[in-house]
Amino acid sequence: MSEKIKLYDASKCTACRGCQLACKQWNALKAGQTEHKGTYQNPPTLQPNTYMIIHFQDYVAPEGDVRWLFRKEACMHCTKAACVTVCPSGALYYNKEFKTVGMDREKCIGCKECVSACPFEVPRYDKETEKVYKCDMCETRITNNMNPACVKACPTGALKWLDKDEALKIAEGRVQQLGGDANVYGDKFVGGTHLMYVLKEKMDVYDGIKKDPKVPQSIFVWKNLLKPLSLLAAGGVIGAELIHYMIRGPHKPHPEHYEEAKKQGGA
Amino acid sequence: MKKQIVVVTSGYERFVHWLMAISCLLLCYTGLGMMYKELNFFGAIFGGLKGLKTVHDICAVFFAVGLLLAIQMWWKEAGVFVFPEDWEWIKAGGDYLWHVDHVPETGKYNPGQKMFFLTVALCGLLMICTGFFMWFPHYLPANLMDWVYVLHVLGFVVIFAFFFVHLYLGTIGNPGSVSAMFSGKMELPVLRMLHPKWVKEMEHEGKLMIVEDKK
Amino acid sequence: MTNHWNDFKNADVFLIMGSNPASNHPVSFKWIQDAVERRGAKIICVDPRFTQSASRAHLYAPLRSGTDIAFLGGMIKYILEKQLYHLDYVLNYTNASFLVNPAFKLPGQNGGVFSGLKDGKYEKDTWTYQTGADGVIKKDKTLQDPNCVFQLLKKHYSRYTPELVSRITGTPKEKLIEVYKLYGSTGKPNKAGVELYAMGWTQHTVGVQNIRAMCIVQLLLGNMGIAGGGIAAMRGESNVQGSTDHGLLFHIWPGYLSVPTGALTTLALYNEKQTPKTKEKDSLNWWKNKPKYVASFLRSMYGKNMTLDESYNALPKIDDGANYSWLMIFDQMYKEKFTGFFAWGMNPACSGAHSNKVRQALGKLDWMVNVNLFDNETGSFWRGPGMDSAKIKTEVFMLPCASSVEKEGSIANSGRLQQWRYKAIPYYGDSKPDGDIMSEIFFKVRDLYAKQGGPNAAAITKLTWPYGKYIGKEFHYEPRKVAAEINGYFLEDKKMENPTKKGEFKEFKKGDLVPTFAWLQDDGSTSSGCWVYCGSVDKEKGILPMRRGQADPTGLGLYSEWAWCWPLNRRIIYNGASVDLSGKPWDPSRAVIKWDAKEEKWKGDVPDGVGNPGKGRPPFIMKPDGVASLFGPGLADGPFPEHYEPLECPVERNLLSPQKNNPAIKRFDKKGVGSDLDKYSGVASCDPRFPFICATYRVSEHWQTGVLTRWCPWLAEMQPGMFVEMSEELAKMRGIKTGDKCTVSSARGEVECTAIVTPRFKPFEIDGNTIHEVGIPWHFGWITTKDRTYNSGDKKAEVFTTGDSANLVTPTIGDANTMIPESKAFMVNVVKKGVK
Repeated sequence: MSEKIKLYDASKCTACRGCQLACKQWNALKAGQTEHKGTYQNPPTLQPNTYMIIHFQDYVAPEGDVRWLFRKEACMHCTKAACVTVCPSGALYYNKEFKTVGMDREKCIGCKECVSACPFEVPRYDKETEKVYKCDMCETRITNNMNPACVKACPTGALKWLDKDEALKIAEGRVQQLGGDANVYGDKFVGGTHLMYVLKEKMDVYDGIKKDPKVPQSIFVWKNLLKPLSLLAAGGVIGAELIHYMIRGPHKPHPEHYEEAKKQGGA
Repeated sequence: MKKQIVVVTSGYERFVHWLMAISCLLLCYTGLGMMYKELNFFGAIFGGLKGLKTVHDICAVFFAVGLLLAIQMWWKEAGVFVFPEDWEWIKAGGDYLWHVDHVPETGKYNPGQKMFFLTVALCGLLMICTGFFMWFPHYLPANLMDWVYVLHVLGFVVIFAFFFVHLYLGTIGNPGSVSAMFSGKMELPVLRMLHPKWVKEMEHEGKLMIVEDKK
Repeated sequence: MTNHWNDFKNADVFLIMGSNPASNHPVSFKWIQDAVERRGAKIICVDPRFTQSASRAHLYAPLRSGTDIAFLGGMIKYILEKQLYHLDYVLNYTNASFLVNPAFKLPGQNGGVFSGLKDGKYEKDTWTYQTGADGVIKKDKTLQDPNCVFQLLKKHYSRYTPELVSRITGTPKEKLIEVYKLYGSTGKPNKAGVELYAMGWTQHTVGVQNIRAMCIVQLLLGNMGIAGGGIAAMRGESNVQGSTDHGLLFHIWPGYLSVPTGALTTLALYNEKQTPKTKEKDSLNWWKNKPKYVASFLRSMYGKNMTLDESYNALPKIDDGANYSWLMIFDQMYKEKFTGFFAWGMNPACSGAHSNKVRQALGKLDWMVNVNLFDNETGSFWRGPGMDSAKIKTEVFMLPCASSVEKEGSIANSGRLQQWRYKAIPYYGDSKPDGDIMSEIFFKVRDLYAKQGGPNAAAITKLTWPYGKYIGKEFHYEPRKVAAEINGYFLEDKKMENPTKKGEFKEFKKGDLVPTFAWLQDDGSTSSGCWVYCGSVDKEKGILPMRRGQADPTGLGLYSEWAWCWPLNRRIIYNGASVDLSGKPWDPSRAVIKWDAKEEKWKGDVPDGVGNPGKGRPPFIMKPDGVASLFGPGLADGPFPEHYEPLECPVERNLLSPQKNNPAIKRFDKKGVGSDLDKYSGVASCDPRFPFICATYRVSEHWQTGVLTRWCPWLAEMQPGMFVEMSEELAKMRGIKTGDKCTVSSARGEVECTAIVTPRFKPFEIDGNTIHEVGIPWHFGWITTKDRTYNSGDKKAEVFTTGDSANLVTPTIGDANTMIPESKAFMVNVVKKGVK
């Protein structure tokens, strides 16, 4: 078995949203009361009960052509996943086989560190259950040789579940075929994502897309510097105290303190 | 030689101290349990990992209350440096680091204690603020939140280290001082060593309460 | 569909016009995408709105709703002028060379109408061919005779210049030419173009003519009968094809046999009048077999309980000239012409054009039976918005029925593919399968007739009903038995000559299944519930729609062993036209059928109409003269499509002729026709109260009136309410922003919508005027809204939706042939909610 990638080809997506529904069905996610706010995009954002949405975006190209852009938003399954790095409980982990980011909700303690750390703003915290939710690439399916539910539902082949090498090759091929501003999104950051896009337009054009997603610097600072420092400092202090105790000994009253006491006491 | 025992702390002061101390200890314990995957087993006594988070959250509230009471209570005595005597004391290393014939006399709290208090007060406030946003992260944009975590750990680094200083100086480093936080009483000589000026002030004002003479 | 869904993968050019398959037939895009990727196929999308399909198109052209014939007329002119047509095909497989009656007049010379118009109806005596003394149609194979169909076609569409078409449709001229050029490129024998339409073409006063115009294009380009070609009527419901096949419509019996009218008093008379004849010597004229299919159908109804003549007379006939289509039913209901009504799997209170009229009409009934999965706006019409239940006398009965997954049976999809479905889960609560409900009602009614008698009682008491069995006291309907009856039986022992192989005889026993409709008889010895399905159940292989074979030897995606396709398991109809006169495929790389000279038979798909190579049999055997009709005298409103404006339209006049609207439509606003509720916004002049064009449409997430999908929380979550899409320009004019609540109103009613302001709608430049168009989906209804009154026991939707039916604003005007309402082009006003 090998590393795999879910390839989303925006140029083939018709926004039928079969994927969005299949995701809800497989993961047994409840529907929420939504409101029509003047867009087809609903629910408007990812939610604890919505692991993926299709974005709908009207776009007028510089040359005046109208386009309707669609984009699937879901967990990107980073190779260097900030969420896994910060997760204190091991609830978030790398799938050893596919390198996707799985989630063991039993272990989630609802600390929300992943919510802040994720450069794609994917994990969502649910107040009711006090746990975090996100796409786990249908781990129950992929580990049983099935495609993720969204891939299974996709009629046009816009979503595919492929070996990494093949996915990269196909993505590159599509970009060549589409020409123009077409590009691959996902291979150039966070060590490569396991949800990758083929985009027809320049990346900048897509609303809400992360242009330069990174594992936040702060995570490095606190995970790699401050965390060890906390033990080092405490250890250093204890060590210094030991030495102090041996060399200087405990701090005891000087004779004058007793004398004064006597004087006082006598008075 | 008879020992003169002096009442140095009120029940309220000790209550606030222990409120903070216990919650702080638990916070450190649960925090460590959450910070290091290797220490996740700390959660076992709280019925699992989730317990760490729950206890941490609850203790944070107690700690916050304790801290605010402490600041309100000790701010004037321990939060303000008085010059030049505090400076003299610092120059002398407070009799801790090398031998000093005459330790410069300071007020009720010496600059060392003041430093500790200020550290606890400031880092504690930092922990409470950052902790609040960690609890409710949606109040802050994500990129700010990243640094909230950094600050929280930074506060921990300081508090955790200072905790051991405090523990040492409050117990074996200064024999006879720990009773102040249990019975509220101390032997006069120790008190005189640690807080000479305060003893004098109390004597002067006739407030020095010697409760016991032991033969 | 002349072809089938998988066949999209064989196309070179797609013309998506009158449909939005990306939204409404999402799976079709699997095959479209396949063609784009593997063949480099191009997608053209022509739509007033930039749709999800447009987003995938290589070429998008906007057009004003209701101007498709102008657009396509321009295309026909372009194809003829640039000689992009497939000459051999046109010459041999169409009536291009036929000479038309010289008295026939085209609208260009006749004030915008064809010859023969009298009182809003055409007398067709000039829509005929010149015949020789032998009765054979005169032809000019050089296509030069000014009266030949080809020249008439040329003459007729010469008026549709790109400039004029652009002024009518609002499509920029250069876009028109681009579309014409790209689609015209499929006229080459090795290119295939397919047209995808749905309600965007049918729901017009010129609905049938829209499709006729495309038929002409496809015939000129030689795109009928070939792989990757055809006209794809994409059905809006999974089994619309099946229900139409089986006589859903008032004017046809199962198998497209016309329902007799009062004047056809005997079966013999019916057969004589209804059976087409021809003098063309090579033409097969398949419909000459009609009496066999009629007799077999009558036998399936009454078996041998009656003679054929008695059976014919037992079945209801329609009054001559009467129309019992949807609009008429509710018009008559509103006028209190009948007392009871079954709303069976239907939700007319939302789906009927001018729903306010429908809802009022329901109140004039004595009783109504609502058979459905859920309570709906129809069943609860009496407590709907604006209704005073105290004043409504209608007694409503709700019969809960099982859903499609709770019972077995078959559906026939757009590609005529009859596919068996199995029961997945038991039916819920008190619900029952439709067949069980129908059987129970039938038995009760039959008993009443048997006991009490009544007019034409035998029509009921003598019906056969061998469709199931009693389990305990309950009759259980068995779809498999119905499937067999639809196929048909021999009703007596019979020895017969094989109709397709002279000299070969076969013996059949009473009760044997009829192998194919070629064996059906007119003497009453066979039965068949629907002749086109004859051959779907086999004595040995059982119910063929259950087959799941995946072999595809041609590589064309015919999958001939997957389920079963009518007629005769033929996947691409008219495929006899995919080969030239000598039997060679026009495009050998996409050969639907191939002649195997050794075995002396056609291979590939089941051949359609074609004789052995060189026999010269014209392949369109369902036409009496064997060829496809460029000139089509069968329709009510003209042998060639002509552009007419929608009844409600934003222009003062038809730029093509003095005749503004289709002259053959039934106008409900004429005195004595419709009712007081049939109101239109100034049909003669543009009504300033309703300045914008409106069209209704669907979204992926909901189905029909949403009677099933609005109750599905996941779907309601994605599309939770009624909206109106409009251009930025219109929104600015009306002070509307995206997300604002708006009121869309017409002369007939109003509906509240949420605004989607979008650059995907652009105002049209129509003959120098700026014309705006808006669009609304029609899936919503008040029953799943939050703010309605709920009585105890009322089911509440898990996710509420907002808004009511789009049909509150649609007009009661129908197509001249089918009476389908013109829901795709009518006039409305849009204002921000609360603004007067």
